[in-house]
Amino acid sequence: MKPTFKIVTNNPLVVRELTGQYTVEFVDGTYHDVLVALRDQIHKGHRLYSHPLSGSVKPNETPYKSVLISIKPQSLDMDSVEMIENSIVTCDKFPVKFPHMPDSMREDFQVIDATLLKGALSQILFE
Amino acid sequence: MRKLEVGYIDIHDIQFSNESKVENGVLFVDKEAIKKIVLEDENIKSCEVEIARPGESVRITPVKDVIEPRCKVEGQGGIFPGVISKVTTVGTGRTHALRGSAVVTTGKIVGFQEGIIDMTGEGAKYTPFSKTVNLVLVMNPIDGLKQHEHEYANRMAGLRVAAYLGELGKSVEPNEVVSYETYGVKEGMEKYPNLPRVGYVQMLQSQGLMHDTYVYGVDAKKIVPTIINPTEVMDGAILSGNCVSSCDKNPTYIHMNNPVVHDLFAQHGKTINFVGMIITNENVYLADKERSSNWTAELCEYLDLDGAIVSQEGFGNPDTDLIMNCKKISAKGIKTVIITDEYAGRDGTSQSLADADPSADAVVTGGNANELITLPKLDKVIGDLSPIDKIAGGFENNVLEDGTILVELQAITGATSEVGFNCLSAR
Repeated sequence: MKPTFKIVTNNPLVVRELTGQYTVEFVDGTYHDVLVALRDQIHKGHRLYSHPLSGSVKPNETPYKSVLISIKPQSLDMDSVEMIENSIVTCDKFPVKFPHMPDSMREDFQVIDATLLKGALSQILFE
Repeated sequence: MRKLEVGYIDIHDIQFSNESKVENGVLFVDKEAIKKIVLEDENIKSCEVEIARPGESVRITPVKDVIEPRCKVEGQGGIFPGVISKVTTVGTGRTHALRGSAVVTTGKIVGFQEGIIDMTGEGAKYTPFSKTVNLVLVMNPIDGLKQHEHEYANRMAGLRVAAYLGELGKSVEPNEVVSYETYGVKEGMEKYPNLPRVGYVQMLQSQGLMHDTYVYGVDAKKIVPTIINPTEVMDGAILSGNCVSSCDKNPTYIHMNNPVVHDLFAQHGKTINFVGMIITNENVYLADKERSSNWTAELCEYLDLDGAIVSQEGFGNPDTDLIMNCKKISAKGIKTVIITDEYAGRDGTSQSLADADPSADAVVTGGNANELITLPKLDKVIGDLSPIDKIAGGFENNVLEDGTILVELQAITGATSEVGFNCLSAR
């Protein structure tokens, strides 16, 4: 059965590892930009499948975020709207912590984000 | 009735010796024996063993886990079931604990690192582990070891060493023996017919690498909510594999000494009937959140609870699980209290949680994790200070010229514990 969800991400590691296996939509931007891209789609009726604030590494401390969302728009899902709006408010509370991030650290943040996403993927039995 | 006796052996110092033993409140440790236990794992290349005592000018960082040495003296099963011992159900018989001592693991697993324990100064006021005598394991992995394997090696080595040290207390006479008794549903009803039935819902962090918790060896993201006897956690049934934003994560030590469990036991049979404990998870996948919170509320109802205490682990995404649990348990007519902490900005004026609901009208907070504190320069660092501007709670250029360090409370291990194992208070 074809998956009914897609991945919205700004994490190049996720793009490299999961493109082909899943539908991956790359956002060339910040953590905030990913949330805004999600919000725009949720307003069109897409539904969140994973939490936009997953992980204890704070938004803007990690630059990377990968979130699962339904491929097809349906009727507006208010739970998703509320969750994404609250997440954007929370995200904007955190200033960008490492404006000059070394590559090794960048890779570590990519790995952490990817494992959080894979945790969600491993739990999907049907959708 | 089920009963667990815990014999607390007070440890006031750890010293290196050529023989490991407990004598007159001193834990003597054979350093080579410890190294041998750590290096059983071929993924660990080398290991240093250090002692950090309360009041010493020592900073331990980045801390991965803190573990209390314990052993089973009587009763079925062994300590850390499903991981170090066989998977036999624990929580009955007798257990000995080397109270006042701890094994602390440290190691650089990813570039941003977690957890500071200062043994003196401003930081020491915020972490409960400045008051324990700590045996610190500084472990270095083989070259090229992947983060997952490294985390596993580090975690398991800490548990092996804690179990080894715990065994040294097996035949030592404890300073205090405390008995914890629990009853079956019918027995408890008959024994305390007039006391309110109160249960404890513990939410376990379960999101992925360095965000995981294990129950009898099972990754908590794979469990459905279940009932566990609160004495089981005293034998190490729940183990920590998470340390990111260490202020509100429960190291294994805190699971073994969970203050919510202990305080409920203290009132058990007096003001309440402590019916039992429900564990649930905090997964990333939203359907899991729905399933787990639905089921948790059902279990609360099934146990005929009058009141429930729900403790969270972490912040942000788990706020959603917390509020779902609170809403659904309250909707069953069960009075619900939640325990959380806050990310309210450095000045404390921002919204504290990422989610809210009118049913969350009884809230206990562990403090504001964004609060900024200044740590003095200390004489010795065990572990590695270089990641300190990269830990959650640290920030760029936060090490000042005089060696003092500015951090948010979230960098300090256990500072805003959401089971109340911390030192912050409004008093």
